[in-house]
Amino acid sequence: MADTPNTPLLTVDKLGVRFAVKRGGGWGKRAFLYAVDDVSFTVNRGETLAIVGESGSGKTTAALAVARLTAAYTGSVKLDGQELLGLEGEELRQARNKVQFIFQDPYSSLNPRQRAEDIVREPLVSLTDKSGAEQQQIIDRLFAEVGLRPEQKRLFPHQFSGGQRQRIGIARALATQPQLIICDEPVSALDVAVQAQILNLLRDLQSELGLTYLFISHDLGVVQHMCDSIAVMYMGRIVEHTDRLSLFNNPLHPYTKALLSAVPSVDKKRRAETKRILIPGDPPDPVNLPPGCRFANRCPAATDVCRQSEPPLTDHGGYHRVACHLVNDSKTAAI
Amino acid sequence: MTTPLLKVENLRIELTTRDGVAPVIDDLSFELGQNENISFVGESGCGKSMTALAIMGLLPEKIGRIASGSILFDGEDLTKASPARLRAIRGNEISMIFQEPMTSLNPVYTVGEQIAEVIREHQGLGRKAAWDMAADLLDAVRIPNARGRVSDYPFQMSGGQRQRVMIAMALACQPKILIADEPTTALDVTVQAQIFDLLRDLRKDTGTSIIMITHDMGAVAEMAERMIVMYAGRGAEIGPVEQIIEHARHPYTKGLTSCVPHIVSQLTEDRARLTEVPGIVPGLKDFGKNMCLFASRCNHRTEECLSARPPMKPFENGQIAACWHAEDV
Repeated sequence: MADTPNTPLLTVDKLGVRFAVKRGGGWGKRAFLYAVDDVSFTVNRGETLAIVGESGSGKTTAALAVARLTAAYTGSVKLDGQELLGLEGEELRQARNKVQFIFQDPYSSLNPRQRAEDIVREPLVSLTDKSGAEQQQIIDRLFAEVGLRPEQKRLFPHQFSGGQRQRIGIARALATQPQLIICDEPVSALDVAVQAQILNLLRDLQSELGLTYLFISHDLGVVQHMCDSIAVMYMGRIVEHTDRLSLFNNPLHPYTKALLSAVPSVDKKRRAETKRILIPGDPPDPVNLPPGCRFANRCPAATDVCRQSEPPLTDHGGYHRVACHLVNDSKTAAI
Repeated sequence: MTTPLLKVENLRIELTTRDGVAPVIDDLSFELGQNENISFVGESGCGKSMTALAIMGLLPEKIGRIASGSILFDGEDLTKASPARLRAIRGNEISMIFQEPMTSLNPVYTVGEQIAEVIREHQGLGRKAAWDMAADLLDAVRIPNARGRVSDYPFQMSGGQRQRVMIAMALACQPKILIADEPTTALDVTVQAQIFDLLRDLRKDTGTSIIMITHDMGAVAEMAERMIVMYAGRGAEIGPVEQIIEHARHPYTKGLTSCVPHIVSQLTEDRARLTEVPGIVPGLKDFGKNMCLFASRCNHRTEECLSARPPMKPFENGQIAACWHAEDV
């Protein structure tokens, strides 16, 4: 990424995650579901990369693999120059300090039997060697930073609202002073009016602490507000990856176009301008993927080439990466 | 508009909780016209689904009851109808689709059996005829190879297909009103677009009126002509969708529209801070107080708001807002 002045913090190269599934023809024959397939991207320091896609596209799995919460079978994940895949023992423990996770559901991601302060203390105990007094100091600071009152430290999760619980989750993620925070659908379980509180908090924390976010979401409105660049995933692969303005104002991949056109909007002008691109049918069976482009069976522009060979993710100028054979084709442009 | 299809007047629903009786719907009035599409909007716990359940006669037994007010459907007061009469209306003239297409279908019956059951119950058709009609309905909701899929079990279908089955079931008797309670919340956005498309077409073909419950202003703008914004069991604002989005008269409506980051026609570098609506919806024990229940979260708050419940103020353009300061919003 020579075009960008900022230095990359996270570099993911040809990452692959697969799951063995019991299926396939013969006896004892193993079939694999390639949840993440040949995924490469970088995230610059202090910036936010959003990974968007529909359920089953592999966005969460990719994030879990980056955080070493699920095993990748191939590829490389470098944080600040250090390879994370393959780390073990004490080295892995040290690396975990630097990558933390904010989960989607603030109801099931907090231990109901722990007090709020103990939930936030957990990563300090298991990942750092800080003394009790130091831990307490950090917890006090974090509670103030995420907008919780000091007296709430002794409460249990059920005594908080959804938004407050997510604040606890954020405090926990910040505890070890990580460089990279992975936010997996951090607001989709919250009421709309509360979402704004959490999104504003995440942006404030980013500018105050210089955090780098990997932001997983299916809500394109939220994504456009939060990110600097966006990768669109479909069936385990990145189909388009570019900066925020290029993606929203000039999408090139037919799937991205369809996805954007499907978002209902309150903007009268956008509704008038947007032609809804309906993509018929369902995604193909992820275990028996057809040859060629994974989107071909639903793509309004697909040709024989698309059904035969898989398009590579190539740069179309200004770091606008697209995986489509027909990207310069007039037929695709007309979609 | 001539006589409305559905007219809800001064509806009050009480829910018995451990802390006493709470009015989860408090003096709500609205109308639904023939072939009209209205939307209920608001956060969870504001009474949107409760209103829908009341219309369907499905309030939780022994816990919830209609304390006062009326629900006039085609001139008939549903609050006074017998259980047998309600059963005849439900699924026949008024039907409902739910948020969770995964859990609202019975996993041990085929989708065909579940659709056919509705038809046999309400239209007295025989087994064979009902089954054939179920297949036709699946075809109408655009499930490919409907004849083959009619004997599938729910687990063999995707989320979007299951929601189509729910819609097929709801439309089996060509109801006059279809209530859709967050019909696409559990679905992906491209699937949501397909379902919206389907609902729009069905409405055009059958003239069914639709009540859609949602928290997504974008969905409201796409689907509905009028919206009813609910807050803490009360109507906060009622009026034409375009107008309300352009100029809301209730601070809560305004908050709901501006707290969500929207995709607009040409994005720019400029990203304004999102407007926050501080705090959360009050608990049930505060429902029914003689004050504006939104006051604790509102930046227009004055003494008046805390001392008396604001009346529904009508504006000339058809908007109605329950706010003491509606003129200034």
